[in-house]
Amino acid sequence: MLNIHSTEQLLKAIALASAALSVLIGIWYIIRRPHLNRGTKSMLLLGLGAFPLIVSLTGNIASFEYTLSRPFCGSCHVMGPYLRDAEDPKSNSLAAMHSRNHKFGENSCYTCHADYQMFGAITTKQNGMKHLFKYLTEYASTGPDGEGGPPIHLYKPFKSGACMQCHSATAKKWVETHADSAEAIRSGEMNCIDCHNEIHPLALSRRPKTAMGVVR
Amino acid sequence: MKHEMAKKMVLFSVIGTIVAMIFMASSIVFPHPLLLVLAMSIGQGIAIFALVLYLLAVALDLQSSGEMYIPVEESPAVEPPASAEGIGPPPA
Repeated sequence: MLNIHSTEQLLKAIALASAALSVLIGIWYIIRRPHLNRGTKSMLLLGLGAFPLIVSLTGNIASFEYTLSRPFCGSCHVMGPYLRDAEDPKSNSLAAMHSRNHKFGENSCYTCHADYQMFGAITTKQNGMKHLFKYLTEYASTGPDGEGGPPIHLYKPFKSGACMQCHSATAKKWVETHADSAEAIRSGEMNCIDCHNEIHPLALSRRPKTAMGVVR
Repeated sequence: MKHEMAKKMVLFSVIGTIVAMIFMASSIVFPHPLLLVLAMSIGQGIAIFALVLYLLAVALDLQSSGEMYIPVEESPAVEPPASAEGIGPPPA
């Protein structure tokens, strides 16, 4: 029995059902080869036009939703150590702690690494295409975790704005504990991860070159 | 002739759509990054091409069977020469 628990799953179910109907109409036409009368044309318009359109719309949305999830980010082998660390219930790294937070849930990679701006989703997905290209051209056959490949690094420095989506820089407790550096953090001179730097320790231990300072 | 061509075009269109649907459905079931990108670009491209081919085939079929209205240019009326005016049998 099909269990649907989220919008993404519902969209996937609609897309698969529409694809199946479209294929069935196609197979019916190939086997029966009916005369091209008005009924056949209408049926084919459903099979070649309407159902594929539904597959395209729902499939695109469902796929986009899936690309936000941690399993998708970890589906390239170079991300293996990052994924294992984030999903380790005993790990105390920042990635693991945030992944255990239900507000981040399955989308913990995207929530912290997506560009926090008006067209952030688009620029993030553009970078995703760049990731895929680099993965295919530079990290193929580089070991089970891609440790033989070039060091992995962010395209631009990690900004504190991503942290401040949730951690307010004006809350009383935060101001008290960050009295010395509050202004520098707000102005961008200092970053949260300058001090809170235990982000992906397991991943960095698998890549000594990256751990020496390229990452951030 | 046109009807036979239209039937061939519809057949290609149906095969193209089936390939595109299998491609796109597989990317939904097995969402690997490369498969997703290929399915949502090449797969959709094939599906759009198949639909355009089908619509062309329908237009061609309608044209061949005369269901589609196609205006025919009228031939210019031939005026009788002036010298021949009044000559000939009277109208019935």
